[in-house]
Amino acid sequence: MNISINWIKDYVDLPDDITLGELGTRFTLATCEVEGVETTGEHLKAVKIVEITEIEQHPDADRLNLVTFNTGEEQRRVVCGAPNVAVGKKVPFASIGTTLPGGFTLVPKKIRGIASEGMLCAEDELGLGEAHDGLLILDDDAQIGMSLADYLGTESDIVFEIDNKSITHRPDLWGHYGMAREFAAVFGRPLKDVFSKEWREGLKALYTDEEPPVTITVEEDSCCLGFTGISMENVTVKPSPQWMQDRLSTCGMRPINNIVDISNYVMLETGMPNHIYDRDTIKGGEIIVRRMGEDGVFVTLDEQERNMIATDTMVCDKERISGIGGIMGGLDSSIKDSTSRIFLESANWRDSEVRKTSVRLGLRTDASQRYEKSLDTNLLEQSLLRLVELLKESCPEAVVVGPMQKTAMQPTPELKITCSADRIARVLGETVAAERIVEILESLDFKVTVDGDVLIVDVPSYRATKDIEFEADIIEEIGRVIGYDNITPVSPINLAETTRLSDAKQMQRKIQDYMVFHARALEVMTYPMIGKKLLEQASWPIKNEKLTLVNALAPELSRMRPSMVPTLLEKAAQNQKNFNSFRFFEMGRSYESLEGQAYSKDRYQLGVVFFDKTGSPFLDLLNVMKPLMNFLNLKAQFEPANEKYPNPVMPAEWSGVHPHEYLNIKVMGKNCGIVNTVHPIITRQFKIKGNVAVAIFDITDFMDREIKDKTKYTALPKFPSSKFDCTVVADAQTPVSDILRVMNKLKVKEAEGVKILDVFKMSEEQKTVTIRTTFLDREKTLSPEVLREAEDKVVATLKKAGFPLKV
Amino acid sequence: MLQKLEELKKEFRESVEGLTDKNSLAKFKSDYLGKKGKLNDILKGMRSATTDVKKSVGAAANEFKQEIQESLVKQLAKIEIDEINSQLKKSWQDVTLTDDVQVKGLQASGYHPVTLIQREIEDIFISMGFDILDGPHIEDDFHNFEALNIPATHPARDMQDTFWFTDMAHLLRTHTSCIQVRGMEAHEPPFKFVGPGKVFRCEATDASHEMAFHQLEGMMVGKDISVANLIYFMKTLLSEIFRKDVNVRLRPGFFPFVEPGFELDIECLICGGTGCKVCKQSGWVELLPCGMVHPNVLRAGGIDPEQWNGFAFGLGLDRLVMMRYHIDDIRHLHSGDLRFVEQFKAY
Ligand SMILES: [Zn+2]
Repeated sequence: MNISINWIKDYVDLPDDITLGELGTRFTLATCEVEGVETTGEHLKAVKIVEITEIEQHPDADRLNLVTFNTGEEQRRVVCGAPNVAVGKKVPFASIGTTLPGGFTLVPKKIRGIASEGMLCAEDELGLGEAHDGLLILDDDAQIGMSLADYLGTESDIVFEIDNKSITHRPDLWGHYGMAREFAAVFGRPLKDVFSKEWREGLKALYTDEEPPVTITVEEDSCCLGFTGISMENVTVKPSPQWMQDRLSTCGMRPINNIVDISNYVMLETGMPNHIYDRDTIKGGEIIVRRMGEDGVFVTLDEQERNMIATDTMVCDKERISGIGGIMGGLDSSIKDSTSRIFLESANWRDSEVRKTSVRLGLRTDASQRYEKSLDTNLLEQSLLRLVELLKESCPEAVVVGPMQKTAMQPTPELKITCSADRIARVLGETVAAERIVEILESLDFKVTVDGDVLIVDVPSYRATKDIEFEADIIEEIGRVIGYDNITPVSPINLAETTRLSDAKQMQRKIQDYMVFHARALEVMTYPMIGKKLLEQASWPIKNEKLTLVNALAPELSRMRPSMVPTLLEKAAQNQKNFNSFRFFEMGRSYESLEGQAYSKDRYQLGVVFFDKTGSPFLDLLNVMKPLMNFLNLKAQFEPANEKYPNPVMPAEWSGVHPHEYLNIKVMGKNCGIVNTVHPIITRQFKIKGNVAVAIFDITDFMDREIKDKTKYTALPKFPSSKFDCTVVADAQTPVSDILRVMNKLKVKEAEGVKILDVFKMSEEQKTVTIRTTFLDREKTLSPEVLREAEDKVVATLKKAGFPLKV
Repeated sequence: MLQKLEELKKEFRESVEGLTDKNSLAKFKSDYLGKKGKLNDILKGMRSATTDVKKSVGAAANEFKQEIQESLVKQLAKIEIDEINSQLKKSWQDVTLTDDVQVKGLQASGYHPVTLIQREIEDIFISMGFDILDGPHIEDDFHNFEALNIPATHPARDMQDTFWFTDMAHLLRTHTSCIQVRGMEAHEPPFKFVGPGKVFRCEATDASHEMAFHQLEGMMVGKDISVANLIYFMKTLLSEIFRKDVNVRLRPGFFPFVEPGFELDIECLICGGTGCKVCKQSGWVELLPCGMVHPNVLRAGGIDPEQWNGFAFGLGLDRLVMMRYHIDDIRHLHSGDLRFVEQFKAY
C-alpha cells in the first residue's frame, strides 16, 4: 500500500530535522515495514512547455523528424518520431539530465547521426497516463517556458511503500488517518482531531426530515455487521480537483470522476470501504442484504461473470443483485455521467466470510482486502459523514435527503485490559515509567485509568476487533514505540545443566558418519512424496492410497511414499547417466498408513544404493551393513527370507527380491531391514543398465532407546594358540555358511575360532574350501596329543556333514 | 717405503669404487689386507728400517688400513642398496594413478549440505544447553494450527499454503512450530529446545522456492523471560553462526503464535550496513521471525501462562545453506543428483 506523506501532513506535523530515509526506518522499526520511499512529480517541475516552430524530415530515417521548438529562451532541436507533431503545437519538453518515471535519465545522444537535445514527451513517459500514440498536446494558450507541474497544478509528494504483509493484523493502518496516528505516536507529535464531535454535529445538520428514499433491510443470517446509508441529490458528475487526483494516483488509483474519486478517497483516508450508487438504478427503492439462496451468476463492476454460491451474502434491490457484500458492486448501479441522485453506503461485513468468498472467486479488491482484516462497525457513521462532506465540497448545490439510516448495527464490544508498569518491565526487560506508558497509550487513542500500580486500559474499538486482545498486546504497543533498539540485551539466567543429543539423533548422526566415512557414500535428500506411476514402475505392492494429498503440486508428488525403495531406484536410474558406479544414501522417512485415530506413522529409515555397471555390488553393500550394526552397538542377524517372519520394510510379494542376493536385517528379534540386489525384472523397468544393490534399515522402533555399549575386555592368553588348516570338497553352490554352521557344532573345547582361509573353484560343480581352525587352551600349552585329537575331530565332523577332505 | 704406501693408497682409491658385487669386494679385501696382501708386501721392508721410519710408516699404514676397512663397509652398503633398488625397479608402479584421477576409482563421499549446516547449528544450540527435538511430517490440525493460535477462520491459514490429506484433518506440517507444541507436551518448564526438520508448502517451485524445505524452530520457556533476553540470545546465536559479531534489530511482525511478534533483521554482512544490492540499500536483511510465546500457545501446550513465559523463533536453514555455498537453485537440494552432492565431499 502506498502512503502519501502530503496527505499524512494534513493530520500531523512531521519532524523536519530528520531525512526521509530515517523517517522510513523509524516507522519500520515501530509500526510496519516501509519497503521504499519515493518522491513523485519531481520531474514535472523540470519538464517545460515549448512551442514547435519548425519540422524537417530526418535525412537518414523516414519515420523520424527534426523538430525545432521555442523554449521561451532559445530555439532547440530534437529528433522525434511522434506522428502528431505540428508547427504551433504546445508540447512538454524534458531536457538532458531530467529523470523520468521508471528511473530513466536523459543523456546526450545522437539518433541516426543527428544530436538530440532532449525529448518531447508522451503522456505515459511523464507518468500521467497510459497514452503513447503521440506527444501530449497541451492547450493552445499554455504559457511557453512554464513547468508542467505549474501548468497541471500538481504537487510533488513523498510516497512510503508499505509492505501489506506487515499490516495484516492492523485494520486501522489501511487508511491514511490511522497511519497518521502512528506517525504522531512514534514521533511524539499531536494528531489533529479531524473527526471530532463538532465536526459530526456540523454534518448532521444537513440531514432533513424527509422520508429516506431508499429503505434498507438486512436479513439476520447474512454476514453484514452493520449497514449505514444516506441519500443525496443534485450532484454533478465532473472531474475531481487536481490535488485529489494526485493523491489517488500516488496511492495507485486511477482518477475517474468526482463521485467515484471521493468514494475511493474516503476509503484511503478512513480505511473503511464504501459504495456510491446511482440511486435511480435501485429498483423499488429498497436495498436488501441477504444470502444468495441458490447458486447463480452475477456480473461485477469489472464486467466479469462471477459464479456465486447459495451462502454468499449479496446486496440486492427489489428485482436484482447489485453487489457482492464487502467485495465488489455491480455494473448496473455504478455512477454515470448523467447521475444526479445518489445513495451512499457504508457497511461492515464479517471478515472470515468476505475472505472465503473472495478467495473462492479469486477476486481480491481494495474493499475485500480491508474487510478481511476485521473492521470496526463503529467507524461506519464517520466514513459516511466524510463522504457527505467531500460531496458537498465538490458539489455545493447538492443536498442530503432524509437522515442517515442505520441497520443491523453490531458494535464492536468494549475491551478493557489491566496491566502494570512492573509487568511491562518484566516482559520487555527494560523499565518504562508509568507516566511514559500512559503517554504512549494515549497517543495511540487508548484511554488509561491509573489505579495505584494498576493501569486499566480502554482499547479503541477500531483496534479491538481482533488486533488487541490482552496484556501482551499492550506491552507490544509500549515496546515498539519506545523502540526495541532501546532495550539492552540481557543474558537469560542459565542453570548449570548438561545437555546432549537425544538417543535418536545420536543414532541418526552415527549412521550418517558411518555411511560417509566407512561406506564412502554420498548423502542425498529426496522428496518424501511419490506418485502412483513410480510405485507401479517399481511394482511396489503398497500404494498408500489413504495418504494421498488433496492439493498435490503434481501427480508424481501426490502421496506419501510407503517405502524409500522406488525413489531410490528412480535416483539410481537418473545418476547412471553420469557415473559408472556410485554409492549413495538417504537418512529419510517413509510413511505407514494406519487405521483409526493414529492415521499414520513416520518411519525413520536409512536407504542405501550401491550401483555398478558391471559386477554385483551386493557383497560390498553387505560388508558395509554388517559392521554398521556393531558400530551402533546393535545385536543384529542377517538372515535369508523366511515366509514365517514377514518383513515390514519389504512386502513378500515384491518382484524386486533377488533369488539369492537377499537378506533380512533382524534387530532385537524383529525384521527391520533388508539388503537386496534388485531383481533385473525391476531394474529393467527403470532402464537401469547395471546392478543395483539396495539396503533399507528402519530404526524407528529402537532409536529412542539408550543402546548400551556391551563391550567387555578379556585377558590376553598366556599360552600360544595353534592353527589347523584343512581343505574340503563341496558343491559349487553350497554357501560357506553351511560349512561354518557345521563347525560351530564342533565339540572341541579348545577350538577358539573358525574362519575360511580360501575358496577355489575346481569345476562347474565343485569347489574346495580351506578352513582354518584356531585351538587355544587358556590354562596350559596344548600338547601334541590333544591337538591331534582335535584335528581329527574337525576332519571327521566335516566328513560326516558331507564335506570330505580333498585328496 | 712411504712413497710405496702412497702409491698403493692411490691405487686403492681409484679401484674401490669400481666394485659392483659382493664377491669381487671380498677378493679385493684380501688382495689388500690378506696375509699375502699388498699392504703386508710393503710392510715386509719394515724390519730393516730405522725406528723413526718404523714409527712413521707404522702410523701411516695403520691409518691406511682403517681407511680400507671403512671404504669397504661403505662400498658394501652401496652394493646392497643398488641390488635392492634394481629389484624394486622391477616392481615399479604408477603412483600418480590414484583413485581421484580414475573413472573407476572410489567415488567422493560426504554429507548433504543441509546436513552440514543443520549439524553446525544444532551443535551451537547443544553448547548453549538446548535439547534437539523432532516430530512427524504428517501432522494433525491441532499441532500445526489450533495449538499455535491459528483457528480455522484465521487468515494465516491461507498464507500457509497447506498440503492437506484426503481426510482434511491431517496435513504435511507447514512449519517446525509443531515441534514446539510437541515439545511443550513432553516437557515441564523451564526448558529450552530447538526442532530442526523438513516442512512443506503447497507453492509452485522455482530457483528460490521449494515445496519442501528446512526450518529450525527454537523455544525457551522459564520465569520472567524478557524481550531483552530474546535480543541477547539472537545476537549470540547469530554471531556464532556467522562467526563474527553481528548487529540485529527487531521490528514489529505479526505471527499468530507470538505476541509481541518480531521480524529480526541482521545488519547486512555483505556491505556492513552501508547499503548494497543484497540488502536493497537498506543495510539490513530480514532473517527470522521471533517473539514472545502467545499465552494461548502455552495453554495449548499444557503450560500456565500466568506462571511461565518464553520466546520462540524460526530459522530457515535452506537460505543459510544457499548463502554459505552460493547455491543458485534451491531445487538442487532435493534432486538426488550426485553431481550436486559430490561438490560437498567430506574427503
Ligand atoms: Zn548490504
